[in-house]
Amino acid sequence: MTATLLLATIVKILIMVMFVLNLAAILTWADRRQSSMIQDRVGPNRAVIKIFGKELRLAGLLHPLADGLKFFTKEDFMPPNADRLLFTLAPIMAMGMVFTLVATIPFGDTICLHQFRLFPDFWHVHTGPHGELLDGVERWGTCAADSRNGYAPLELVVAPLGVGILYVFAMSGQGIIGAAIAGWSSDNKFSLMGALRAASQMVSYEVTLGMSLVGAMMIYGTVRLDDMVRWQQEHAWGIFVQPLAFFLFFAAAVAENKRIPFDLPEAESELVSGYFTEYAGMKFGMFYFAEYAEVVTGSMLLVTIFLGGWALPFFHRDGLLVQFGDTTLLRVAIPHVFVTLLGVLAFFGKVIVVCWIQVFVRWSLPRFRYDQLMKLGWRLLLPASLANILVTGVVWLAVDKAGSAASDGLRIAADVTQAVVAMAMTYLIGRGVVGMFGTVTHERNIIGTSAGIAARRGGTKTEPMQA
Amino acid sequence: MVALGTIYFWVCALTAVAGALSVVVSKNPIRGAMGLLLLILSVAGLFLALHAQFLAAIQLIVYAGAIVVLFLFVIMLLGPAASTPNDRRGLFARAFGGGLAALCGAAAIALVASAGLAAKHPFPLADVDPSFGGVDAFGSALFADALVPFEVSGALLMVAVVGALAVARGRQGVASLTRSEREVARAATPEPDTAGGAGVYSHEIHAHEEHSS
Amino acid sequence: MIATYAPLFMLLFFAAFLASVFYVAATFLGGQKKPNPGKQAPFECGSESSGGRHLKLSVKFYLTAILFVVFDIEAVFVYPWAIHFRALGWLGLAEMLGFLAVLVVALVYVWRKGALEWET
Repeated sequence: MTATLLLATIVKILIMVMFVLNLAAILTWADRRQSSMIQDRVGPNRAVIKIFGKELRLAGLLHPLADGLKFFTKEDFMPPNADRLLFTLAPIMAMGMVFTLVATIPFGDTICLHQFRLFPDFWHVHTGPHGELLDGVERWGTCAADSRNGYAPLELVVAPLGVGILYVFAMSGQGIIGAAIAGWSSDNKFSLMGALRAASQMVSYEVTLGMSLVGAMMIYGTVRLDDMVRWQQEHAWGIFVQPLAFFLFFAAAVAENKRIPFDLPEAESELVSGYFTEYAGMKFGMFYFAEYAEVVTGSMLLVTIFLGGWALPFFHRDGLLVQFGDTTLLRVAIPHVFVTLLGVLAFFGKVIVVCWIQVFVRWSLPRFRYDQLMKLGWRLLLPASLANILVTGVVWLAVDKAGSAASDGLRIAADVTQAVVAMAMTYLIGRGVVGMFGTVTHERNIIGTSAGIAARRGGTKTEPMQA
Repeated sequence: MVALGTIYFWVCALTAVAGALSVVVSKNPIRGAMGLLLLILSVAGLFLALHAQFLAAIQLIVYAGAIVVLFLFVIMLLGPAASTPNDRRGLFARAFGGGLAALCGAAAIALVASAGLAAKHPFPLADVDPSFGGVDAFGSALFADALVPFEVSGALLMVAVVGALAVARGRQGVASLTRSEREVARAATPEPDTAGGAGVYSHEIHAHEEHSS
Repeated sequence: MIATYAPLFMLLFFAAFLASVFYVAATFLGGQKKPNPGKQAPFECGSESSGGRHLKLSVKFYLTAILFVVFDIEAVFVYPWAIHFRALGWLGLAEMLGFLAVLVVALVYVWRKGALEWET
């Protein structure tokens, strides 16, 4: 292991872990802010910092910081009858596990670094023997085409393991054990019940999580996450080829995170706080934090497998190539490094968007009952994922048999989906930018509020409530 | 200068032995399960050293993620009854089992040691292709040469499910499963639910299993 | 040989280190310990804990765990098949469907026997 590789690995680990850490912290804020918007409240705004006599509230962004400080300074409590070793081990397992998940998730395409130069040659455009653009790095992300010229690959993934997604499954399984021993060692009936529920729910949905991806693996022909993204870059995004699997995986991932609507293990109105009831201060915070970090890692997986990972529509390894079937509309050469950096930004941007969708889901749906949860997992999602395997297999083999006409048609359809994605992205980004600069009109829809109903009926007789 | 791989091997091997010992020795069943987890993790580490990535991942998915979780479930369900009994019941059987296991272990060590001493290099493993031990290699071996065992293993898994259901039902028959937990709870506890503030699902807390252990 | 996996181990160590730092910091920065009987009792929303220390739980949890083990092992067989699926063709698909069918039968059996009924 050379010093360059060591340095690169440290940087990659820091990028991924810091992204998960910070986005998880911001998500605790986003969760509360979004809920206040949905419920027409003001939301978190109490944390304040004074700089030169000026009060900064930053729309409540200081709350995660204040929460962290408070967590750390709380009394360190351990139930007298707790199993001390396991009680200590559980939060460390729950939190440590989340960061290990990022190992095989790629956040960018392989960069070809020059071995003898510190900085990549920015303006070098890779071209084939006839001057055409090379699209797609070879399998395993090597720079085979350039190794003669002294180029070496720098894979933008912490640990490029051959087992890819299976590593993620292997590690996420350890989270179940963390929850189980947390509940067991707390010496509290509610904790034990919560732990059993958590473990039971997580194992039920882990089956669906695994089986829903089989269809995607069949199409991509690999379990390596970077190769999955490369397939999507060259063809169509996973959400178009495996729409059912996308929803199954999304539902199962939310259930694995134990978030609303699947938050039965920690249902406040039933089980106090579930398996971490007896944890106080930062030890509780570690479970809380792990949950949000899991939202981020779950979103990363979802983005990588179904939303094209770092891929942007029509962007190839060395440029922009708008192509429908065999008709090329536009071809622009862009240096590989720039395409890759754009891809890295795209990956993190997509992850943030998917996290945001999860926040919306959380504040839009009511909690399931336990029997509904189990029924959904075993009787609906699991058979659906098995059926997905069957349908994918039959359709895919039929297309293989059908000859070139069918595959050409699919090729054009895939390009059309890229165009759809490109247009949707452009529209959304445009809307976002316009929205940023537009004036905020605070329209209160009082039709549905009790205050509004009372006002239309001639006002309330009581004084307005004092806070 | 000791090679990195050798240090790694010894760390994993000693951790595995420590985990295995704690499974056998530990009085507390959950700690025993944690010892098993440690054992499984270190064996996965050893697989990784042999470039058997897929095997290492499976080791974690199936053994750490499923088997240990199953043990945890059973221990949590049984509660205090899961602890090692202090009486001398079955002492002979246990002693016999322990002796047999020790004998097998000694034989295995002797076998490996003799093979290692006979060879000139104790670890005669050459560098292998990076794809070795990956999912690809495993799949082509499984579906080309081992088709019949693969299909038969499906039947084995089904037998496991049926057996588990039979065990869970016990002598009571299907009734214990189809009867609602609330009914079961009412039958088992004469006094009304008094679990303070447990809310909607308080009956779960008091729900008794139909069968007695 | 094992150096190939150095990045993975670096991440594993870093994750364990980070979690341990959080835990140790919580232990040392934490406020003064002031135990009292109320605080030390199992927390059940302020009401007195009743009944024994242990609770009896439904055996269905055990069945769920067994089903999970079975389907987890099944999934492990399916992954290698999935990535070889195009090479194996129709015959491979038939083989896998046969394997899955056996397990679906097991699932249906458990379902019909009422082990997946959690209604109360």
